[in-house]
Amino acid sequence: MIFIIDDDSVMAECIESACRPYPTKIFSNAIDAIHSLENTLPDLIFLDIMLDGPDGFTLLNELVSYSDTSKIPVVIISSLGLADCRLEEYGVVGVLDKATMLPADIQKYAENYAHGWDRC
Amino acid sequence: MESEVNGILVAAHELKAPLALLRQLAFSLELTRNDSERQKIQSQMINVSDRAIRQVNDLTKIARLEDGLFQMEPVAVRAVCDDVTRELTNLFRFNHRNLEVSYTNRSRLVVANRDLLYSVVYNFCLNAMHYSNEESRSELIVKDYYDKVRLSVRDFGPALPTDVWKSLKKGWVEKPTSIAMRPGSSGLGLYIASKFSQYMSAEVGAIRHRDGTSFFVDLKVSKQARLF
Repeated sequence: MIFIIDDDSVMAECIESACRPYPTKIFSNAIDAIHSLENTLPDLIFLDIMLDGPDGFTLLNELVSYSDTSKIPVVIISSLGLADCRLEEYGVVGVLDKATMLPADIQKYAENYAHGWDRC
Repeated sequence: MESEVNGILVAAHELKAPLALLRQLAFSLELTRNDSERQKIQSQMINVSDRAIRQVNDLTKIARLEDGLFQMEPVAVRAVCDDVTRELTNLFRFNHRNLEVSYTNRSRLVVANRDLLYSVVYNFCLNAMHYSNEESRSELIVKDYYDKVRLSVRDFGPALPTDVWKSLKKGWVEKPTSIAMRPGSSGLGLYIASKFSQYMSAEVGAIRHRDGTSFFVDLKVSKQARLF
């Protein structure tokens, strides 16, 4: 399962279509995603940073606060130019720029991570 | 000079979002084989570009306001709101939101410029769409307000923190002021609406609710006899 967290529903659907055939779940805000983590641990999260309410960084902090969620790989999708930021400690495995990313970039991460990850 | 550069930066940032979205939609179109899905993506592309074109048009209009080229005339306010809601219905639907309309005004004609008033309503509605929660509604309300007609657009989203509210309340008519520092919603639309309202000698304001915000414009009632 891949979580897509983006408050722009059209952009989220674009990411979803690039993730096919992997199952996805779209969230428009961080709070709904955090609630859903109680029931489902995704294999990968595509995360927008600027969200309504708590932003993407708040979600990253939440993820690293618990052992079971701290290992979930996260790919940041943003227009903020975060490519040079060091975010590995937050489980960030990649940063994509909304203005330049290709579906193949999204597919690459989906293929690499959506088959499951080491939960131990 | 500095404020001019800031204005250009805000406009550039605001226009980057629809361009990035169009690019992704074009890729999605390429990947999709299903006819109905392709149609949906095409409609989304048209909606996103319409929105971006309108924003560019509004920005050029701001530059022309000082020339006084926009004539004031009696305008049927409900007809303008009907046209805006017709144009935005699909966009709201694509974003999983609803736009509801409520008219209780007895004074049908206001003193305005039709194009500018259209942009004011459009930008208020678009702002409400951005800040409404998914599956929630926005309300476009037209009512009599003392000797004026109040046109307000209310969103149902997260409550604004007090500090954000304070800076928004005094700032949005002076310069583009972001409500939540979100890309794609730098406050440029609200700023455009305030500039156009100012030109029409209409008063603008905002009301903070527990579950959202209303932006309003108070328009002068036209004294011209109603023809309908």
